[in-house]
This record gives sequence, C-alpha cells and structure tokens, in this order.
Amino acid sequence: MNQPERRRNPRRMLGYGVRGLEAMVIFVIVSWFVAPPPILVMLGPPQKVETTSPKLGVHTRLTDEVEEWKIQKTLEMVREMGAPWIVEYFPWGYIENSQGEYDWQHADLVVDHARAQGLTVIARLGFVPAWARPKDSVTSYLDDAHVPLFANFVQAFVNHFRGRVSYIIIWNEPNVSFEWGYRPVDPAGYTRLLQAAYVAAKQADPSVQVLAGALAPTLAAPGSTDTMSDLEYLQKMYDAGAKNYFDILAVHAYGWTAPADDPPSPGVVNFRRTELLHDIMIANGDGAKHVMITEGGWNDHPRWTKAVSPAQRIEYTLRALDLAKEWDWLDACVFWVFRFPAPTLTYQDYYTFVTPGFDPKPIYYEVQKYATQQVTSGK
Amino acid sequence: MSSSSFILAEAPRSSDPRPSSLRIGTLSVVLVALALAGYYAYVSWKPKPAPKPDATWVRITQEGVLRIGIDPSFPPFEADDGKGNLSGLDIALAQEWVHDWSAQTGKTIKVQYVYTGFDGLYDALKTGQFDVILSALPYDPRRTQDVLYSHSYYNSGPMVVVRSADMTTKSWYDLANKRVGVELGSSGDSFARKWQNRLNYDLREFNTPKDALQALSSGQVDGVLTDGIAVEDFLHAQGGVKTAGNPLVDELIVAAVRKDTPTLLQEINAVIDAMKSDGRLDQLQKEWF
Repeated sequence: MNQPERRRNPRRMLGYGVRGLEAMVIFVIVSWFVAPPPILVMLGPPQKVETTSPKLGVHTRLTDEVEEWKIQKTLEMVREMGAPWIVEYFPWGYIENSQGEYDWQHADLVVDHARAQGLTVIARLGFVPAWARPKDSVTSYLDDAHVPLFANFVQAFVNHFRGRVSYIIIWNEPNVSFEWGYRPVDPAGYTRLLQAAYVAAKQADPSVQVLAGALAPTLAAPGSTDTMSDLEYLQKMYDAGAKNYFDILAVHAYGWTAPADDPPSPGVVNFRRTELLHDIMIANGDGAKHVMITEGGWNDHPRWTKAVSPAQRIEYTLRALDLAKEWDWLDACVFWVFRFPAPTLTYQDYYTFVTPGFDPKPIYYEVQKYATQQVTSGK
Repeated sequence: MSSSSFILAEAPRSSDPRPSSLRIGTLSVVLVALALAGYYAYVSWKPKPAPKPDATWVRITQEGVLRIGIDPSFPPFEADDGKGNLSGLDIALAQEWVHDWSAQTGKTIKVQYVYTGFDGLYDALKTGQFDVILSALPYDPRRTQDVLYSHSYYNSGPMVVVRSADMTTKSWYDLANKRVGVELGSSGDSFARKWQNRLNYDLREFNTPKDALQALSSGQVDGVLTDGIAVEDFLHAQGGVKTAGNPLVDELIVAAVRKDTPTLLQEINAVIDAMKSDGRLDQLQKEWF
C-alpha cells in the first residue's frame, strides 16, 4: 500500500486513536498513584484559650494565606500565646468578585479554624471590588451610589456567619485619604456608609455587634483634606448622626515612640490617646458604649522614626496590657500584626510577633509568658 | 541520496505522475522558506525607530518638574527636619537624576516631593499622585505586575561583622562554635536563632546594634549580625570592625514607576548606572551612611 493510501485508511486511523486514548488513560492512572496526596488538615477537637489576659488579641493577616495548614498553624500559635481575640480582614472584593456571586470558601476556612482554636473573630470588612468602582480607582474608593451594594455585602456576610462571627468592623481608617479612595476625607460620608451597613447587618442578625471608626491616630493640621485628626473626625461622626449606628467604637492605638504610660494629649500620638476618644464618646452621651482596640502596638524597625528598640517594644506592650486590664470600658486590646504570609520587606515586618516561617520573635515569648504564666503555674 | 536512487525507489509507481510534482512542491517550500528567512533577517536587522517617549517623561521634560512620592521617616535615606527641609541619600540621589536630565535635555528640571505614608505609596503612584516612588523602597517581587522597578542603588540586608584583625571569618558559617552578638529581637537575632542548633554558637543579645558592635570591639563576642547602616554608623564613630561576606539576605533598595512610564524608568536607570560607574553612588553612600 502506498503512503497516501495508508494515511487515508480509516480503520488504521481509528486504531491510532484508540491506542492514544489507552496511553492517556494509563498516564492518568499512573499519575494518580504517583502524585503525593493532598495534606489532610482537620479542624481537630475544640480548644480553649488558657489566659490571664482575656482582653489580649492580635490582628492576623490570613487574607492572603493560601495553605490551610498555615492558617491552622497561625491560629494555634495565637491560642498558645494566650490571646482569645483575633481581628481578621474579609475583603468584599475577594468574596463577591462578581456581583451577586459569593465565594465563602476561604473565609469559612479562617473562621472555622479560629473557632476550633477557641478564638473570637472580629471581622473587618472593606475592599471594594472592581465592579463597584470606577476603572483605575483604588480598592478603598466607594461612592454614595455604591454604598447600598456594600450594605448588601455586609448583610450577606452577617447572614452567612450568623452564630460564628459576632463582631464586624465597618471600613478601616476613613480619616486618611488613601483609605477613602484618595478623596478628601468626609466624616459625614463615612457616617452614611456606617448607617447603611448597620441597618443591613442588624436585619441579618440583631445580635451582631457593629464596630465603627477604626480611625488612624493622626495629627493632621486643621483644614487638611488628606487626613483629619481622629479626635476631630469622631466628633464630626457624632455631629453627622453616627451615635445610634454602632455598638462599639474600634480604636487604633499605636504607641509610636512613646511608652505605654505616656499621658494623653490631643497633640500627641500614643497608646493612651484611646482615653481621649473615650472622652469624646462620654461628651456625646455615649459613655455606656464600650471600646475595642482593633489595631495597635509598637514597631521595632531599626530606622523608622516612629519605631522603638525591640526591648522597648516588649516593655511597652506588656505595660499596655496592664492598662487594658484597668480600663473597664475596654473589651479587647488587639495588636497589629501577628504574622504575614510572606515578608513585606518593609517596616511592617517589624510589627509582627512571628515570622512568615513561624519562628516566634522574643516579643511572642514575652507576651506568652505574661498571658499564661499564672495559668501554667496554677495561680 | 542521489536523484537516480530516488527515482529507482519510486519505480513501482512509475505510472503515477506525482514524483515530478513532488519535486516542484519541494522547490516551492524551499523558496517560501528562503523568502521568509530573508524577511525575518530584514525585520531583525533593520534599524528601528526610537520608541516614542511615554507621556509622563514628556510632561517632566516640558514642565521641568519631577514629582516624587516619599515618606520622610526613614533616615538616613530621607528625613524631614520638621520645617519641611528634606535630607538623606534619596534626596541626594534625586538631585543627581534631575541634574543629569537637565544637562541632557537643556531644560532645568526640579524635584517636587509629595509626602505620603509608606503604606499608601503604591496606591498613590497608581492613581497618579506623583511620578516615582523614591523612599527607601525595598524591591518586592510580588509587585512586579503592578510597577516597574529601577536598578538597585543599595543593599540593606543584614551583614556579618567581625573585628578588623579577623582574617578567618569569611561568612556567617565561619561563626560556628563562636560567640555571636545580636540586637535583641532584630532580624539578625531571628536569623541567628534559626541557625543556632546547626552552628552551635553562643548567642548573646544586646539592647542596641551599637552595644553589640561595642562588645565585638572589646572582644566579648567574635561576630555580630546586624544591618549595614548600623555598621557604617559604628565605623564613622569608632572603627575597628569590618563586614565579612555578602549580606545574609538581599534587601535591594530601588525606585518604582508606573508600568506605562518605561521611558522614565530607562532614564532613571541610566543615571543610576552612570553613578555606579563614575563613583558618585559610592560617594553619596559614604556621605549619608
């Protein structure tokens, strides 16, 4: 048979096809047996946080942590440090990447592992998806027209996590322009957003606790549009009618270079600035409400002008926990940040308690000693 | 194979007219391949017109203003004296950029600094608040889909430091079974703890890098792991120590521009490269560190 005829023979062509199919099937079967099995991660039996510091917490950063065992390991180490609280970020744009389609898989992983470790989750909500903002805008840009869409997401979140997440923070540091879509900061605009989110959250679960504010401690000059002092901003929130639309005030309490005991003053950023914010609540007839520090602490970068030495960081952090115990209006004192999934290669790495490779820093051991020593010694 | 043997091999099909058409087909394929090769060579070697400069570079050269995003909180790279006066390596580097560009374009280019918190630098660059980030910025491989990075102008990774007279320690591995000093809780401390079991050194922690280097100087420890800038500070003040080997971890300091500004990046790189060649970069580092 000549070559062209051989190529055209349908029976032979069919034979080649069948043999090719057989080879593929064999390849798939062999690959199935040769490939390593996926790592099995189980929630495990429910754990309890043993601590003498029931207000101690850390902001975890599991949003970008892909591997489940690392999520579990992080939360185990939080529990072992003696911290019962975590704040975690649940970006709207990750969960509702397409309008109306929710992907809860990763959020469920984080919440379920946290609960298995006996931790209470405070969920920070923000990050506008691309479909809800103009092209080339940043993820903190949310105009009034799209606020109802954010409120819908808040409602969906509360509904989904009813019984598992009881605290939500609405937005982050709206008193700085870059967290407000690079628009002039606008306390009344934030209050409108808060009101919409609060109503939506309470419709889904009346018992959920809505945290507002989470303002950046700032010393902006009066009239600046890039940033506004957190004290001024909070007062303007009250002026705009925020009082009945949050249950707890979220505060960011960074110490910068000052010791924890440094006295509060409007012209100074320090840990006790938290007291000034609480005073504003009292002045607005809102003193019965409690406060949660949802970010804060000290940084030990060797050159950042707002950092302290690692030894000072330890000393100030432990003293801050003493103060937190004394403040009966404070429910939680959460430090930024427990661990990043990968090095940020910036000063932010010097806020962490544990390296990306799970090596505890000295501050981890010192806080652990502070929060668990009386438990372990049976006192 | 000769053409006669080819014909012989095809002899049983002598009645088939296709052998001659096959030869014509082969020739056609060869001619087409040659034509394609010729076209490819022409396209490859033909002088190309210079790419059109990007709009940002055009604006900088026309308006004479380069807008730099900076967080002046990281001396000795950049610091603000509280009255709006900036100083540091990055400030001096920016002056070199505009100096060279002014000479090159014949138009005076000035720097305008836009203060931005470090965490907001990338977003602010993206939204066009300024043209370039120059703010002790570490190279971050995860950001390369968003920005273009310049060539590195400093490596700020932690170093091994030994006494000047030490001729045996060439790297951190040579510190095995010796006394090693670190600043408590520093990245050098973390690195040292990680390798302590393997290298079996006696790890001693100090409150500051200066204390650790002082201990090295006075013979209490045999090596110190700390960052290069702390070493430079100590060398200026006291001396008697030196670095051994390369940084333990590379922390490359770079500038960043938007992806749609390749001409600006090219011009930045040209000045950085020139400064490395003619010694200006070394000179600036000596001046500021």
